[in-house]
Amino acid sequence: MGMDLDAIRADFPILARKVSGGKDLVYLDNAATTQKPQSVIDAMTRYYEQSNANVHRAVHTLAAEATEQYEAARDTLAAWFGTTRDNLIFTSGTTEAINLVAWGWARANLGEGDAIIITEMEHHADIVPWQLLAEEQGIEIRVIPIDVEADSLDMGVFEASLPGARLVCVVHTSNVLGVENPIDLIVQMSHAAGAKVVIDAAQAAPHTRIDFTAIGADFVTISAHKMCGPTGIGCLLAASDAIAEMQPFMSGGDMIETVTMERSTFQSGPPKFEAGTPKIAEAIGFAAAVDYLSQFDMETVHRHVRSLAQYTASELESLNGITVYGDFTVNEGGGVVSFLHEKIHAEDLARFMDAGGFAMRTGHHCAQPLLAAYGLTSTNRVSFYLYNTQQEAEAFIAHLRYVIERFG
Amino acid sequence: MSWPEALQSVIDEFADVFDPMERYEMLFEMAAEVNELPLEEWTEENRIHGCQSEAHIMCHLDEGRFYMRGGADAQIVQGLMSITCLAVNGRPPAEVAELKPTFVEEMGLKSSLTPSRSNGFLNMFKRVRDEATSLTEA
Repeated sequence: MGMDLDAIRADFPILARKVSGGKDLVYLDNAATTQKPQSVIDAMTRYYEQSNANVHRAVHTLAAEATEQYEAARDTLAAWFGTTRDNLIFTSGTTEAINLVAWGWARANLGEGDAIIITEMEHHADIVPWQLLAEEQGIEIRVIPIDVEADSLDMGVFEASLPGARLVCVVHTSNVLGVENPIDLIVQMSHAAGAKVVIDAAQAAPHTRIDFTAIGADFVTISAHKMCGPTGIGCLLAASDAIAEMQPFMSGGDMIETVTMERSTFQSGPPKFEAGTPKIAEAIGFAAAVDYLSQFDMETVHRHVRSLAQYTASELESLNGITVYGDFTVNEGGGVVSFLHEKIHAEDLARFMDAGGFAMRTGHHCAQPLLAAYGLTSTNRVSFYLYNTQQEAEAFIAHLRYVIERFG
Repeated sequence: MSWPEALQSVIDEFADVFDPMERYEMLFEMAAEVNELPLEEWTEENRIHGCQSEAHIMCHLDEGRFYMRGGADAQIVQGLMSITCLAVNGRPPAEVAELKPTFVEEMGLKSSLTPSRSNGFLNMFKRVRDEATSLTEA
């Protein structure tokens, strides 16, 4: 089943914008954030226009409507991610979700003599919290290197690092290389060694149906804004036994049962970890985003996104002076393509592309250790999503060819 | 703010060009022209942090006037550095410390002023003003 790209693009008002002196916007920075369909924008606007109130507190009509919509959003999202509402904790995104595992689960359950495994392929959000925690708790961090020849994690080192490890933190799909890690195998090996597993699915969830139950990990982290939803919200999917072992990392209103001046008792399950007035409109927008995505076969979305990346990588490789990073011979993987020109600096190149209407990313992509493994400090990166077209990929290559001829 | 004659003529030249690619081409030409800081003088101390490109500046006073030299691996940043030299060199440091980089906007390079952490030009310009401040106090 193909995708009606004209109809899809019509759902995203921003894609009709002109930029850089009247040029058609070609938005290729989707790994940073995706654009939002009208239905998501409308759901959030409708909430503010008609139902805005604080949730879980008052008995008036608006409060009841807001609470109903907020909790219905949790149900919609839990169903989409193959789990139950008791296993879905709203967070501000993947960064907060990982911090919640670090400060909510790991700080309460790990200590001196325990080890955490992270990989060189991680986003800074899956490195820095572990470094801070390790320093505080005397926990050992073991790092799985990238085999830069194969653009994959060194699974031999992973296997050798498992004995004694209590937690394994690994990215599902790299935001720099587009490489998809062998998640099933990693979960299976980690559990066999007695370690819990955190999967950073920020880059995978936009074009892969993340089924928390099928993946079998203890924690999975998601950001809404990378999958047509609003910024400022995401979720931590957490196994019931893991939630039972977690301590609150943020505290305040809404997460308590009773408060006296001497002590407080807490709610159980996800509410225990959602202190303060929640992100109500954002949760509703997030649910509207998965409602939007639910009209598509996500396998088809994945094939579309991946094939645009594969086409672009192969065309880039044919251009003079360009090096492409990542393995595009495999059909698994994300929609990102990182590359560099031997002479044109990444920042200069991104500005030349912007002048042609092409939005792309440049820099270290919050993955400095990964780039360092390749001996780099920055790359150019394009990233595709469901609304991008083959014509856009071709136009990108054509403008880049022109830039290289003029400045290379 | 009235600009030195050399800078004003560059501003006029840029303002006459409507094609952004052509403006970038002109910036590339500027990149090598003015007071370049050679690679061997790039040190951790004179490095401007927060840039996507590697950028360095050195500033000094000569007979009470402020002078800078700069170098960057990104040619657009290097070009903007050359233009900044035209704007600041020879001025009293107290004046440089208060200078606003409006010449960039006048040249049609407004996107270079986006207040992003990765903006090489803005980080560089802030460093120039900071150096001018400390040279004023010294």
